Amino acid sequence: MKSIMTVTRRECGSYFGTPIAWIFIAMQIAILSFFFFQFSPFFVIESADMRVWFGLTPFMLMVFAPAVTMRLWSEELRTGSTEVLLSLPIRVQDLVVGKWLAAVIVLVASVVCSFGIPATIAWLAASPVDWGPIIGGYLGTLLSGMMFLALGCWVSALSHNQVISLLVGVFVGIILVLVLSPDFAAYLSGTYPALSRVVESFGVQSHFRAIERGVLAISDVVYFLSGSLFFLALTVFQVELKRQ
Amino acid sequence: MERGEARMAVDTSDQTAVAAEISGENLAIVEAQQLRRTFGATVAVDDVSFEIRRGEILGFLGPNGAGKSTTLRMITGLLAPDQGSARICGVEISEDPLKARQHFGYLPEAIPLYGEMEVAEYLRFVGKSRGLEGTALDQAMDRITDRLGLGPMLRRRCDTLSKGYRQRVGLAQALIHDPDVVILDEPTNGLDPRQIIEVRQLIRELAEERAVIFSTHILQEIAAICTRIIVIHSGKLIADKTPEELSDFSSSHWEVVVAGDGLSQQLCVGHGLAEGVAGAPGETVHRWLSESTPDLSTLARQIEESGSKLIRVGRSRETLEQVYLRLTGGQGGQR
Repeated sequence: MKSIMTVTRRECGSYFGTPIAWIFIAMQIAILSFFFFQFSPFFVIESADMRVWFGLTPFMLMVFAPAVTMRLWSEELRTGSTEVLLSLPIRVQDLVVGKWLAAVIVLVASVVCSFGIPATIAWLAASPVDWGPIIGGYLGTLLSGMMFLALGCWVSALSHNQVISLLVGVFVGIILVLVLSPDFAAYLSGTYPALSRVVESFGVQSHFRAIERGVLAISDVVYFLSGSLFFLALTVFQVELKRQ
Repeated sequence: MERGEARMAVDTSDQTAVAAEISGENLAIVEAQQLRRTFGATVAVDDVSFEIRRGEILGFLGPNGAGKSTTLRMITGLLAPDQGSARICGVEISEDPLKARQHFGYLPEAIPLYGEMEVAEYLRFVGKSRGLEGTALDQAMDRITDRLGLGPMLRRRCDTLSKGYRQRVGLAQALIHDPDVVILDEPTNGLDPRQIIEVRQLIRELAEERAVIFSTHILQEIAAICTRIIVIHSGKLIADKTPEELSDFSSSHWEVVVAGDGLSQQLCVGHGLAEGVAGAPGETVHRWLSESTPDLSTLARQIEESGSKLIRVGRSRETLEQVYLRLTGGQGGQR
C-alpha cells in the first residue's frame, strides 16, 4: 500500500505540477458547460436537473480519459525510465495501480470542480431539486471514469508513442460507448435478441444511464469495477511482458 | 592427543570460514550461472557465468552490441533469461525479485530521469520506493547529496541539468539505499575527460565497501579501475581475468628490428624469419615464425656482414588493445 501511495504521489506531482491536469479539468468543464447551458432545456422549461451534462459524460470520458493516461507508460517507455522503475523493489501491480490512482485523482478533481453547476441549479431552482439523479450521475461519472482510465493505462503500456496510445484508447472507447450502445442493442433486438442482450450488457451507456437515473444496481457497479480490474490486469500483463 | 589437536585445528578453520561468511567477505554478491538469452533467431548472450565479491570492480568489456547490456539487464531482473540464473546476495532474482532488488542499485545507459521533477523530489521518490522514510530518508539524502556534490542542484528540474549532473543524479538514485552492489551500464558515456576521471574516482571509492559492476567499450577505463575484466563478444564470455592476467594473456614473440628496407630473403629463410614489415620510420621489423629461441649471435654477425644495421632484437608483447582486438576477432567497433 505504501509503495502504491509513493507512485501515486509522484504521478500526481507530475499531473498537477505540469499543465496536463489543469487543461483536462478546464476543457472538460468548459465543453460540458457550453452544451449544458446552450442545449439543455435548463432556462426554457426551468428543469432543475443535469441530464444533458451526464448524457454527454460518457462521450467526454471516451476522449479525455486516454488523453490523461496516454503518458503514464508511453512516456516512461520512450525515455527508458521503466528500466529504473522496474529495478525498484515495487511490485508491478503496485506500479500499475499507483499510476491509475493518480489519473483517478485528476478525474475526482474535475468532478469536484464541476460542483458549481449543481450549486447553481439548487440556487436558481424554484422547486426542490431532485438530488438522486445528480448524485447518481456523479457516481456514474466516477465509476465509468475509473474504467476508462484503466483502459487508458493499458493502451499506454502498449506503445512508447503517446499519440498511438491516445488513438487506440479512443478507438476502444468508441467501441465501448458507441458500438455497444443501447440504440444498436434496440436495432438488434428484433433479429438477434441474444446478441442484443450481449451488446447491452457490455456497453458503457446502458450501465451509465441506469446509475444516472438514480438507481444504483449492484450489476452496474460490478460492471464498471470489474471492467477497471480487467484493464488493470491487462496493464500488469503488458508491463510484465517487457521482461520477456 | 595428536589427533585431538588436528581436530581442533579443523574446528578453528571452520569457525573462521563461518565468521568470514557471516561478515560477507567470502560471499559472492552476484552469481550469474550460464545465462542465455535470445531475441528471435539472434543469440544475444550465451552461457555467461561469473561471480563478484565485495571490494571488486568488475568491468564488462566488449564491442557495442556484444551482449553487455543484455547480461546486466538479466542480472537486474529487467529481462528474463531463457536459461541460467542470477543470484544477488544469495537471493535468486526470478524467485524473490523484490528482495533481490533491495541489494542493488542500477544506472541504465540512457540515464532516464523524470524531466518535470526537481532533483530532490526525484531522489526522495526513489528513496521512498526503496523503503526509506523519515530520518533515514533525510540522512540518505544528505549523504548522497554530499558525496555527489548535488547540493546546488537539488531545486533544479531534472530536464534542465547538464549531462554531467544528469549522470550524478543517476548515480545518486542508484546509491541512495546504500546497496551491496552497484550496476552501471556505460557510466562514462558522453562525459568530458574531467567528469570521466570523477566518475572513475567515485567507482573506486564505492568499491571500498561494496561491489561494482560496470560495462564499457573503452579499454583504458577497464585498465584504469577494474580489479577484474570480463570480455564479452558475440554474446559469449571469452575472458574473465584480472588486468594483470589479461596482460599475461597477451602473447609475445621474438622480433628483430633493422634499419632500412630489411634483410635479404636468404637471411630470412635461414633464420626462420617472416618477411619484413614497416616499423618506425626508416625501420623494418621481422618476426620469428617459430617460438624456439633464435640463435642471436649468428644472426647479429650475419646482419652486420650483409651491410644492414641492427637496431633491436628481443621479445615484443601485445598491448591490451591488441589482446582485446585479438579476443574479439579484430572487431573493435560496431558489429
